[in-house]
Amino acid sequence: MKRIFGLLTAFALIASACGGSDDGGGDAATADNPVTIDMWIAFSDDARKGFTEEKAAEFNTAHPEYNVVVQSFDSYNTVFEQAALAIDDGNPPELIHFFEAATQQALDAKDKDGNAIFASVTEAIDGRDEILGEPVVIDDVVSAATKYYTIDNQLYSMPWNTSTTTMFSNMGILEAAGISDPPDTWAEVEAACDAIMALPDAPSEGCITWPNHGWFFEQALGQAGADLANNENGRADRATEVFLNSDAALDYVQWWSDLEDAGHYVYTGTQRDWAGTASAFNAGNVAMLVYSSSDTTVLTDTGKENSVDVRSSFMPHNGDAAYAGNLIGGATIWMTSGLSTAEQDGALAFLNFFSNPKNAGDWHKLTGYIPITNAAVAQLESEGWYTESPNSLVASDQLNAAADTPASTGALLGNFVSIRDVVTLAIEDILVNDVDVTERMGSAQSEAQTLLDDYNELNG
Amino acid sequence: MGIVASIIVAALLGALSFGYKSVREGAMGAALGLLGGSVILGSLRLCTFAADAASTEAVLGIGLAGAFAWMFGAGTRAVLGQRSADLGSGENRSGTYKLGWYWPWLLLSPTLLILILFLYLPAFQTFTLSTKLANLTSPRTADRCLSNFSDLMVESPTRIAMLPLVAIAMIWGVALWSKRSTPGTRSHSIAKTLQPMGILAVVFAFYFMFETESGTGGYRLIYLNTIIISLSIVALAMTVGLAMAYLAFGRIRGITVYRTLLIWPYAISPPVAGILFFMMFNATAGIFAFLADKIGIEFPNYTASAGMARGVIVLASVWKLLGYNLLFFLAGLQTVPRAQIEAATLDGANAWQRFRLIVMPALGPIAFFLLVTNLTYSFFEVYGTVDLLTKGAPASSTSVAIYEIIRVGVNNQNIGKGAAQSVLLFLAVIGLTAWQFRQSEGRVSYAGS
Repeated sequence: MKRIFGLLTAFALIASACGGSDDGGGDAATADNPVTIDMWIAFSDDARKGFTEEKAAEFNTAHPEYNVVVQSFDSYNTVFEQAALAIDDGNPPELIHFFEAATQQALDAKDKDGNAIFASVTEAIDGRDEILGEPVVIDDVVSAATKYYTIDNQLYSMPWNTSTTTMFSNMGILEAAGISDPPDTWAEVEAACDAIMALPDAPSEGCITWPNHGWFFEQALGQAGADLANNENGRADRATEVFLNSDAALDYVQWWSDLEDAGHYVYTGTQRDWAGTASAFNAGNVAMLVYSSSDTTVLTDTGKENSVDVRSSFMPHNGDAAYAGNLIGGATIWMTSGLSTAEQDGALAFLNFFSNPKNAGDWHKLTGYIPITNAAVAQLESEGWYTESPNSLVASDQLNAAADTPASTGALLGNFVSIRDVVTLAIEDILVNDVDVTERMGSAQSEAQTLLDDYNELNG
Repeated sequence: MGIVASIIVAALLGALSFGYKSVREGAMGAALGLLGGSVILGSLRLCTFAADAASTEAVLGIGLAGAFAWMFGAGTRAVLGQRSADLGSGENRSGTYKLGWYWPWLLLSPTLLILILFLYLPAFQTFTLSTKLANLTSPRTADRCLSNFSDLMVESPTRIAMLPLVAIAMIWGVALWSKRSTPGTRSHSIAKTLQPMGILAVVFAFYFMFETESGTGGYRLIYLNTIIISLSIVALAMTVGLAMAYLAFGRIRGITVYRTLLIWPYAISPPVAGILFFMMFNATAGIFAFLADKIGIEFPNYTASAGMARGVIVLASVWKLLGYNLLFFLAGLQTVPRAQIEAATLDGANAWQRFRLIVMPALGPIAFFLLVTNLTYSFFEVYGTVDLLTKGAPASSTSVAIYEIIRVGVNNQNIGKGAAQSVLLFLAVIGLTAWQFRQSEGRVSYAGS
């Protein structure tokens, strides 16, 4: 009898737990019954996840009728996959953090009835200057980010973390090899590496490393002014052709492969290995690291702790070709459609609060992502932040140096995430198995084209 | 042309599997075969023979028709055989419920409901999905007939048609040889030793059927990885497990402590095993790299070579499986009749002879059970370990079938292609299990003492 009673209690508990998670979602937003705004982010490290949670808590205190709940995932890809599964389920969260490569797919995402999953943030703000007392900052977003994310003259998502690829140099090693400034071009990198690897105490793993991530390949195309896709990189009209084996692409991959053959470039063996490459640099096992500017602060600070002068500079480019400019990377926050007015206003208010000048400045200082609004830049300048930490200015400078062309803006492309996978897999094959660059990029090209065709067949 | 070939193949295989002792029986078998063939080709709306279908798809279509014809023929034969056996021996008839025919179904309904909802329905959906182009975020889908499958195979229809036939011919030839030759003769013993070649022929046939064009080494590389990694895991986990169980079975002081510690890894999930081995073997920050550095040895980066990367995956999985195998082997060892061992010792059998002739046969059923569970583990659950240790690197050489399914279906969100690959894995596991049952028939004895 006792056992049956126990079982029944257990069932009752489970039932109430299942039923209790319903948050109503009605229009009445009160402090007693706050409206829940679920936000999924792709950061799981203490600093970035902690920052987001802290800002959510501040917002919740200022607006007790709302409860912004942050759920973190370990990578952009994971959030993207989980969101796709949740969309397929018909139950996505209110706010989702998508990386730039998912932009086209987020735009095209539809539920089972064919309605768009995400609402345009510009349209939802509808020209308001403030929402729930939070000033609207979306019109003040810096040009590099607006250029990338503006589609049909509006921002569908709210730009948040934005970075570009920059290089970090261990100046101790460079100076020992007689190099006073970080190399700027491919040829200078080669020369620097020759000098560094000739040192008696040359770094143990090699001269330079960076993650095998599709983003670096795209950056190299941007630098050379080459498009990744047709129709002006997918910005004039939906992209229908992808160009993975253009001359600029082959030049870059060949240079990369040669650098590896020479024993200068270190391949950690894993694709998208952010952690492995950074730890090789931090440990002094390589002299230079091409990386995301998002980690400028932590890389510089780690250097300081190890008494190493870490200097940030532009990503090296092909000196034999005209430099067109680097593009952004990072992510924006998308808001799902079909929300109640209360939910939508809460979500929009949070997004604008989240990137207000103070928060955007703090975010930049914490990480190295560029300050996302002009007001934040002005505030940091007046504080004297950039004189104090010159490394933090490099990313903004590099983005401002870019020409205003589709190539240096970056591509909008369906199935972009999978196409990046095709690129990194091909490059891994080239680095590990020493296969012919032209041939291997050719087969990658046809695979990527199939992926794009498949995507356009379902979404075009 | 394709349709005609399917009709002939389906009718022939239907008759062959159902029986063809009389004209009437043969005709019925052929009819069943045709029914089976038309069920599958009809549900595909004959797309395999459409004008725009690849010739490899047509070959796959004929193959499918043949397979369904065989299933219908052999299935009906089995049902008929069962019924006549039921009718023939009155005393062995299965019991009937006095409360009515519906009563057993009522009792089974909770289980059936769960099975249908969570197993059969999703499985059926996987089969339908495997013929489509489908993306997770798009409600639209497009029909792809069998191209999700034919894309995994070489573009030569003759090769796809001939290789399975050659493999089947080899299996049948050897079986026929051993049946026709007199036991005891040299010819018979050769036939017997050649028997395992059947499965090898199938393994090789598949190897040459898969393409090498896409990605790094095509699906052939994935197939090769799966075979190498899975077989190594099973072989090592079984032998080492048995050896350790044999050692831990003896009377040693504090044996329960040892046993508990040995079984421990089983309680750890595959991803955690992955993290543990990552921390040990990582070339930059790993424990072994640190220790090797202390004594002045360069510790290699395991993701830099295919052999090492596979080795680390096998090692982590074996370590994880060992506790489980040990547990079952220990239980099995307790059932070995002590009297027989003592008698054998008195007769002068040495330790190895006692182990080989008494212990091993007694462990048969357990070993067979472990073989099936270990294979299942190495096919499916190894995902977490691969994801954390190598993510398929270097150059896809540790990307096993289950890892590739999730990479294609979830990471790249192409659920149609993912479903096609998972259908292949499903068929492979079904085939392997059936083969194991067949092989172990008569060899594994469940007779207790």
